[in-house]
Amino acid sequence: MDMRFLNVSRRDFMKYCATTAAVLGLSEVDFVSKVSEVLAAAGKKPPVIWIAGQDCAGCTVSLAGSLNPPVATMILELISLRYHETIMAASGYLAEATYEATVKEGGYVLIVEGSIPMADDRFCMIGGRPFRKIVEEAGAKAAAVIAVGACATYGGIPGGTPTKGAGAGAIIKDKPIINLSTCPVHPDHIAGTILYYLTTGKVPPLDKIGRPTMYFGELVHDNCRRRSYFDNEMFLKDWNDPAQKNWCLYEKGCKGPDTYADCPVRRWNDGMNFCIDCGAGCMGCAEPGFYVGMSPLYTAEGERSRKIMARKKAGLIPPLKEEEA
Amino acid sequence: MKIVVDPVTRIEGHLKITVEVENGVVKDAWSSGTMARGFEALLTGKDPRDAPFVTSRFCGVCFSVHQMASALALDEAFGAEVPLGGRLLRSLCNAAEYIYDHVLHFYHLSALDYIDVMAVAAYKGRDKDLNALKEKVVGLVKAKDTYPLTPRYKPDEFSVSDPDMVISAVKHYVDALSMQAKARNMGVIFGGRQPHYQSIVVGGFTQLPDINQVARFRAMLDEQAKFVNEVYIPDVLAFGTGPLLPLATAGVGGGHYNYLSYGSFEKDVAGKDLLFPSGVIVGLNPADIKAGPVDQKKVTESVKHAWYRENKPQHPYNGEQVFDLDRKEAYSFIKAPRYNGLPMEVGPLARMLVAKNPDLMGLVAKGVKPGAVARHAARAIETKLVVDAAYTWLDQLLSEMTKPGFKIHDTAHYEPPDRGMGAGFYEAPRGALGHWVKIKDKKIENYQAVVPSTWNASPRDEKGVRGQYEESLIGAPVPDPDNPINVVRVIRSFDPCLACAVHLIDPKTNEIKKFLVE
Repeated sequence: MDMRFLNVSRRDFMKYCATTAAVLGLSEVDFVSKVSEVLAAAGKKPPVIWIAGQDCAGCTVSLAGSLNPPVATMILELISLRYHETIMAASGYLAEATYEATVKEGGYVLIVEGSIPMADDRFCMIGGRPFRKIVEEAGAKAAAVIAVGACATYGGIPGGTPTKGAGAGAIIKDKPIINLSTCPVHPDHIAGTILYYLTTGKVPPLDKIGRPTMYFGELVHDNCRRRSYFDNEMFLKDWNDPAQKNWCLYEKGCKGPDTYADCPVRRWNDGMNFCIDCGAGCMGCAEPGFYVGMSPLYTAEGERSRKIMARKKAGLIPPLKEEEA
Repeated sequence: MKIVVDPVTRIEGHLKITVEVENGVVKDAWSSGTMARGFEALLTGKDPRDAPFVTSRFCGVCFSVHQMASALALDEAFGAEVPLGGRLLRSLCNAAEYIYDHVLHFYHLSALDYIDVMAVAAYKGRDKDLNALKEKVVGLVKAKDTYPLTPRYKPDEFSVSDPDMVISAVKHYVDALSMQAKARNMGVIFGGRQPHYQSIVVGGFTQLPDINQVARFRAMLDEQAKFVNEVYIPDVLAFGTGPLLPLATAGVGGGHYNYLSYGSFEKDVAGKDLLFPSGVIVGLNPADIKAGPVDQKKVTESVKHAWYRENKPQHPYNGEQVFDLDRKEAYSFIKAPRYNGLPMEVGPLARMLVAKNPDLMGLVAKGVKPGAVARHAARAIETKLVVDAAYTWLDQLLSEMTKPGFKIHDTAHYEPPDRGMGAGFYEAPRGALGHWVKIKDKKIENYQAVVPSTWNASPRDEKGVRGQYEESLIGAPVPDPDNPINVVRVIRSFDPCLACAVHLIDPKTNEIKKFLVE
């Protein structure tokens, strides 16, 4: 692969592959040769259709924020992106014709962003057709389905509105859906999932609700750098006080003890920062029921936060020990 | 004949544009938002402090400004006074948002409308990087897989096909991909993560900055400043005053020539002097611009042609949102906001005209008329203003944070009041943005937002007057009905952001919600 066009050296890309290989449990050499093999096979890249329903484009924007690997590598080198409303050159009938031809062909990876309105089809119409029908049709002939973001996985914010937004699993029933559930999706989660699929031809191991265990296998709380302050009940009360700056954010509404995601170790935006480090706490965006089930967000006065504290008081969230960690 | 462009792509959200073409020219146009989510109904009854987090999700592109306008509305309702430190951090987060958003819009969402990408194959120069790029594109063509760069509307007489210009534009397209990502990472230093910052809250900010973060932000800003000054602005000027000059002087995409800016970005410590001044212009005369003061009481919304129960135009505080999907004359989920009964354009062009920005005035003197090309120019010009201002905010922050008792948050006003109401006005990258909140029994009683794309993409009002997108399409040349490239050029010049324009629907109860000014 010639990476010069994409402003990424082959070395950098291979470095990324090495990290992914480690995640996959492959040796680096195996991995690189496998990726190359897959890409070389018939000289073609796997076709991808990315559809968006009741969305805010945040997941697309999140993917476009990926620097390592660069988004250009993903959309031009790794995959053949046939349809994506926000990125593609075509509009109107040209866009729809490309979509139809790819669906007819079958065997593509379908990526769904945004929820599907279950209350009335007319809440989301694209090209004059209900989004629900598009998901149904594109899902039927997809080789694999990846739902990105809170909305497309479990309904997210629209799930709590009168439009009754639902995730892709409410429509596509005949195959496993890979749920990448944070709000927005983490770009690493998309890149790694696609690489896994390209390499193995398989869906990665998933938890009970369809999330790859390689990203959603641990509680945010168990990897939190503020954990010792939680254990010692030192809770940040005043954002102005330098002495409290690193204390636990429980009283500011943190839902880390209820949330499975790798944010504290992976962090966000090339490791620049993430929710808990900026003093705002985890709002549980990776979990079903988000947002309504996590509200109120920035305070511990809600039912969910009270239950977290009750569990702590009952000794059910003990300090981590070596054998448990 | 009628031409329907659905979906309009390379925008945020779901938009359908219908135009009636006669003798190769657009005679009439209809703009329809085709998706709704129902955020206001969701927020009713919730803890008001949730609102900035939730309304950030109006739009994954301009998340920051929604969080900001929402926090400003809550600040007023809670009686919070945001300390200078908190205000500076909020401004820096929004500066990063502007820089990334404008660069992304020009290169990744719009440029493909103006350049014939395949012309790179004819590049004859000796530049190593550019030849590598040429080989790459030729390679895609040979492999018969040029998605998502094709298919596309056919290049026309306004398309730039000079190989040297095109190849450098395509190179900048690729460079800009990493620049916009880096601009966003810059915002994340304080914002926590993006899309959807987490640190802008009622009363101020959640992250006490350290000195190294300021240094890091400055270093990243240097790289952005270099790109904006040496690549983005020169590209826009080279195109706008070069091959696209005929399109610019023809004023394709003009519209109603009414402009509105709420104003934002505090330049001084008191918060009085604004980087983008507020003002309203009715019936622009470019030779003698008169911008009057903005009175937000003159904002009304008409639902005559939107999928809501028919009602007279209302101020957002009095708005009723009773949903009706079956009304015959409705064709959009977007309401029709009007100022003093008139449709308005909001966004970079409106801001730079209201400010009588000398760089924009220079282009006007060269014959560039307000329209599609002028919008791109105004966007580039104001990006530089934001970059320059961000340096000032960093200096102020450094000086403030090293003083004893430095504050970022009004902790005394963090608990929701029993009753309260507030409005937050801010200039989003796409234009004038307003959030209105009313609180009862410490919960949100009603929440309203009138966002930039609601102004620009609105349908007709009760008098049958077209919205700004619709009006701006009138007269656009469409010589070939199979190739309506000028239609998408005009629409994309506004940088449509439809997700946030169509979040308004009725509450579950279907009862009339009154929002009274007290």
